[in-house]
Amino acid sequence: MYDMHLGLTGYPKPWLLFWIAAIMALGYLVITFHRKWQKWSQSKTQIPEARNGSKLHVMKIWIAEVFCQRQLFGLSSFRWFAHMLIFWGFIGLPFLSITTITLRPLEYLGIDGGWASFFFYGNGHAFIKIWGDSFGLALLIGLLAAILRRFLMRPAQLVNNQGDVILVVFLLWLTISGFFLEGLHLKLAPTALVRYSFVGRFFMPPGTYTAAQLQQWLTAIWTLHALSGVSLMAYLPHSKLMHSLLAPLVIAMNVEEEQDRKDIYWPDIKKHRAT
Amino acid sequence: MARHKKTQGNLIAEGLTRRQLIELEACARCGECQIWCPVYAQDKRECVTARGKLASLRCIVNGPPLQAEEQKEFLEGLYECSVCGQCHVVCPVRINTTELWEQARLSLSGAGMPQPKSQIKQLSAIKDFNNSYGKPQQERGLWARRAWEAGFLKAPLPLWKEQRSPVLYFAGCAASFDPDMQSVAVQSARLLQEAGVEFSILGNDEPCCISKLRRMGDADFTIQAQKRIDMFNEQEVTTIVVSCAGCYKGFHYDYRRLWSGAKHVLHLTEFLEQLIREGRLRPEREVPLVVTYHDPCHLGRHNRIYDPPRSILKAVPGLTLAEMPRHGAFSACCGMGGGLKIVNPEIQQKMGAARIRESESTGAQVVVTPCQTCCMGLLHGVEKAASAMEVNHLNEILVRSVCPDVSAGAIKTAFERLSK
Repeated sequence: MYDMHLGLTGYPKPWLLFWIAAIMALGYLVITFHRKWQKWSQSKTQIPEARNGSKLHVMKIWIAEVFCQRQLFGLSSFRWFAHMLIFWGFIGLPFLSITTITLRPLEYLGIDGGWASFFFYGNGHAFIKIWGDSFGLALLIGLLAAILRRFLMRPAQLVNNQGDVILVVFLLWLTISGFFLEGLHLKLAPTALVRYSFVGRFFMPPGTYTAAQLQQWLTAIWTLHALSGVSLMAYLPHSKLMHSLLAPLVIAMNVEEEQDRKDIYWPDIKKHRAT
Repeated sequence: MARHKKTQGNLIAEGLTRRQLIELEACARCGECQIWCPVYAQDKRECVTARGKLASLRCIVNGPPLQAEEQKEFLEGLYECSVCGQCHVVCPVRINTTELWEQARLSLSGAGMPQPKSQIKQLSAIKDFNNSYGKPQQERGLWARRAWEAGFLKAPLPLWKEQRSPVLYFAGCAASFDPDMQSVAVQSARLLQEAGVEFSILGNDEPCCISKLRRMGDADFTIQAQKRIDMFNEQEVTTIVVSCAGCYKGFHYDYRRLWSGAKHVLHLTEFLEQLIREGRLRPEREVPLVVTYHDPCHLGRHNRIYDPPRSILKAVPGLTLAEMPRHGAFSACCGMGGGLKIVNPEIQQKMGAARIRESESTGAQVVVTPCQTCCMGLLHGVEKAASAMEVNHLNEILVRSVCPDVSAGAIKTAFERLSK
């Protein structure tokens, strides 16, 4: 068992500020989606579609389209590579954040069932390190590939508006600040744990510092990183990130209707691509 | 009361389905639609792409209203679209754009947004004359009488009201009224006779399928479609074979929400392919040609009829089929659908010309399609591209192998003589 108390909780975190911001952002997100739902509910039109296929078949196609992004693979393997990394990074990192943030109050209330001890102070901490670094690295590479494509390769169909630039920079900041935070954590962590942070260790500041010397930096970066994550939640409904929530939904609705369309669900797009 | 007055955005939202409203927000703006859009290939404006239309429609629905210039651009983009469905096929989010554009047109006109005058005129003609040519209904069945008089048929075609048959052959407006396309109806009837199919026609009682009302977003579509359905039911029509891709999409696809009989509507190519497979229709004469096949959007992308026409061509001895780079689900539209030709004929001609140039790249002598509207569109393209490429309806190729006396040229000449 590692003594991780110092490494993870040995610096002050503005939890009150975080929770106020998180609740406000979540509330804003809920209100925005409620408004959107109200708008969608204004529809007085129904076009009945056939939904009589096998649910298993629907699920199979949906998984291929959403989790494996088969359509993108057909269009461009580079786009697929970048998008898959961003997509899975986005699934993995918030999952980690939500898990750890949820465990804190449960630990405080004593109803965490031993999970907080396992993940924060026990052997499970190595798992958190590997998880965080793997998905963080995926997101980082995906974002760099997307930046390369968007700003250097510049395919003709891409439109770089202000919102797109803000979003890419914002996501990059979130990812890199996360790694910097991890690098600072590692400075205070036992050496045996550092190897599990196979990316974060490259973000460790050079030199030797005491916990007291790093505290203010840890607090500052944690605060910036956490509040940035919370801001993203509020910004989501106004950005193109909406597609990350709605595309799987639209794909699900379409698969239900057009599951037997082999011409669109298993296309050999490259074969026919004229451009 | 004024404060309860619905905004234009709310009215438009009411006219779209919930799924379509969600789709407006789901667009990832990746621009894949732009790469493939055959209209954008000729008119490089963002407003013609699916991405551009979705963005504007999203703004309109969510408010505030667009500026006058933005609205003008959006409406141009929406109506200068052939609703070919290519953007749906390539969209990574699977937004059903074909349905969306048609429903948006309906919803927008219901909310009082202006529709192009040329489309309104066309829609009025269809409703007033029961055909898009503005011709009297009494002339609709003339092709059958003339075909018999000119000796192109083995027997006179029975009228459904006099003789009910297992199959109703539905010629459609273009093949009934357009002198350049009447050969399609005559050849279809003759091929069915050659295969020994027992069928009748509606003659002057044949209505317009009114699928164009749906394409251009006319609110009367459902009422008018129901009238046709009632007529088919009253006359106990079971199986309908249509030679027009537009009519096929209308009866088989658009009517399916109103009529269980829609599934018994077959396109001529499906039917002929079956007859060839059963050995009832035998293409025996050699047709030594290299041809390329143009998939009509209404048959291919919209109804997944890709293989039957190709099987027919492959059954013709001596014929070689050379595929274009874009074929099947990725076939480039000729620009005749969705009311685009009526709104912007120049764009259609350019689209047709692009398709002709693509067909030339295959080394084919003839571009073949089983849709008379596509035939017309491709012919416009031949003119625009100053090409020597020959455009044939698929029937024309098949009759060369089955009954060469019924060529399009012979039919046109005979009909001109008979009409004098």
